[in-house]
Amino acid sequence: MGASVTATTAGPDQRAEALVTSYERAGYARVAPAILQAAEPFLDLSGEDIRKRMYLTTAPDGGEFCLRPDLTIPVSRDYLASPAAGRPAGFCYLGPVFRHRVDGAAEFLQAGIESFGRPDKAAADAEMLSLGLEATAGYGLGQPDIRTGDVALFAGLIAGLELPAAWKRRLIKDFNRKTNLVQDLDRLVLGGNNARPEYQGVLAALAGSDPKGAHALVTDLLSIAGINAVGGRSVAEIAERFLEQSALGASAKLPREVRGLVERFLAIQGDPDEATAELRALASETNMTPTLAPALDLFESRTGFLAARGIDLNRVKFSTSFGRGFDYYTGFVFELTDPARTGDPLVAGGRYDGLLARLGATESIAAVGFAVWIERLAAYGGTS
Amino acid sequence: MSAPLILAVPAKGRLQENAEAFFARSGLSLIKPRGARDYRGAIAGLDGVEVAYLSATEITMQLAAGTVHLGVTGEDLVREQIPDADNSVVLIEALGFGFANVVVAVPQAWIDVRTMADIDDVATAFRHHHDRKMRVATKYINLTRDFFAAQGIIDYRIVESSGATEGAPAAGTAEMIVDITTTGSTLAANGLKVVDDGTILRSQANLVAARSASWGPSQRETARVILDRVAAQARARNYREVRARFAACDTKLVDSAIDKFGVVTPFGGPTSSGMRTLHCPPAQVYALTSFLRENGAEAVAVAELGYVFSRDNPLYAKLEAGL
Repeated sequence: MGASVTATTAGPDQRAEALVTSYERAGYARVAPAILQAAEPFLDLSGEDIRKRMYLTTAPDGGEFCLRPDLTIPVSRDYLASPAAGRPAGFCYLGPVFRHRVDGAAEFLQAGIESFGRPDKAAADAEMLSLGLEATAGYGLGQPDIRTGDVALFAGLIAGLELPAAWKRRLIKDFNRKTNLVQDLDRLVLGGNNARPEYQGVLAALAGSDPKGAHALVTDLLSIAGINAVGGRSVAEIAERFLEQSALGASAKLPREVRGLVERFLAIQGDPDEATAELRALASETNMTPTLAPALDLFESRTGFLAARGIDLNRVKFSTSFGRGFDYYTGFVFELTDPARTGDPLVAGGRYDGLLARLGATESIAAVGFAVWIERLAAYGGTS
Repeated sequence: MSAPLILAVPAKGRLQENAEAFFARSGLSLIKPRGARDYRGAIAGLDGVEVAYLSATEITMQLAAGTVHLGVTGEDLVREQIPDADNSVVLIEALGFGFANVVVAVPQAWIDVRTMADIDDVATAFRHHHDRKMRVATKYINLTRDFFAAQGIIDYRIVESSGATEGAPAAGTAEMIVDITTTGSTLAANGLKVVDDGTILRSQANLVAARSASWGPSQRETARVILDRVAAQARARNYREVRARFAACDTKLVDSAIDKFGVVTPFGGPTSSGMRTLHCPPAQVYALTSFLRENGAEAVAVAELGYVFSRDNPLYAKLEAGL
């Protein structure tokens, strides 16, 4: 592995083994999925930036495979293929993953946990953070920085807003994509055809139309122009987008009241109790309590479980804008980092209730978990 | 007897014709002493050079690997196939042929899509509707990834295409494409249109040098000779010779011409009989002659130049700086 070992008696292998053994004792069955995996699930779920770092290979019969770049998807797929699929189950793992990196070995160890099917989501979320803290403690890092977020809160806010569909879509996408959405809010412009003179006629004609009328108009326009093949997008999709733009009105910017509300929401951060108070205040002042209540109740419940597990809530830094940058997270997210260094997480994870359905499950199955970067911990960790 | 400098040239098609014509105009005729079917050749009258005829892709790979010293290939292939290209190769000179743009193209039927910002929005909406990502067919995987990432677009999936990329949307293997185009007629024929701000790269054929090839003294000398002649030809192409002789043609007027038209004075001041020689960019020639005639010239002679050799060798300097 090449990581320099700090002054402890146990080498990285032994500490990692000890960690996973303690996870087993906590009730998580140890699994070791195949190193060579079908590439498609990873390609489907990851962006092109992850894909370009994957080690892909093709079998003689043309099937595409990869050296697994992470363990969450392999463990999830094995669970779905097993008799336990759909029932509560928990797994732990320790093994190599493979990603091409400019600085760092392409093969490195990850440990971690996946918990499926537990209906008590708040308790499960708290347990993940607690078990993640065991990893840093085991490597001599007693007080890691704890950053948490909750994607469901932002999703709830957006769902409850009076806002054209195009704006909702854009805000959710930018939440996942940008490190700091709040900075860009006043610069967000939904471009498109509103600003283009040649579209004014079409958009005006569509004002107040229903989908059927818009569909008929677009069909006629294409036919008149002699354009046939529509490709992968249907006429209905094109018509819908015109309707959205027609409804957007003259301004290309986020409506002022909405912007103020989103800014206020994204500015909320602090320990979980402070954040809860601010969020409840915001919800009641803006009549958003009904839409935010489910996520807020879960958030409070989770905070309670964290405290019950002996986690010092003053050390937990929650921020509404903390998102981890992956669109498959649906709720709780967290990262543990070394306070003495900035950058890459030592332990990171969250809740991804939609993942198993995207891997082929016929119904939605709760899923939450985290991964541990063993070499980073071994390099960073101090003496116990 | 040290190893020859290896110059890689396209093996067939318009690129080969244009490359051979380019070198011929520079006084470096490519010949095949062992027969027309041979894939190795030489340059007439210049020792120490071996010409290798390869596909444009092969040329690019061998430049990256350093197994050839110089090569003629498209900038699109260099940027696509060589990671961090400027660390592996030096683009010495754009050759003025092989023009093509790498562009983002979508079906003409997408009448609601004009810009990359529209594509961004459409990609997100597509994912919601179809529960899968929009597919982009291309052979320019790296160029596409970098361009889309710079635009902030992430909801898409590249489908590798080795040929006939323009047919992918009609065949249903992708929703849109990134492909190379010259006139745009193939795209139109396949019912596709270029996105307004979707031009990823304006490419043309380039003379490219491999940094990691073995550049000993004799190979460098050979390169210096080749690049001297290429530069002379390039300089000649970039200017027309304009000559005039009239009383009012003083330094002040010439300075004004330099300012207005980008003229250069390769021989300094006038001859003892007052004849002035100016080198003028072709696009400005008519304007310059009008200017001179307005200021008193009875006649202005304009001629094409064959070669313009100068003391310095900027192309060789560029190569040396990169080695």
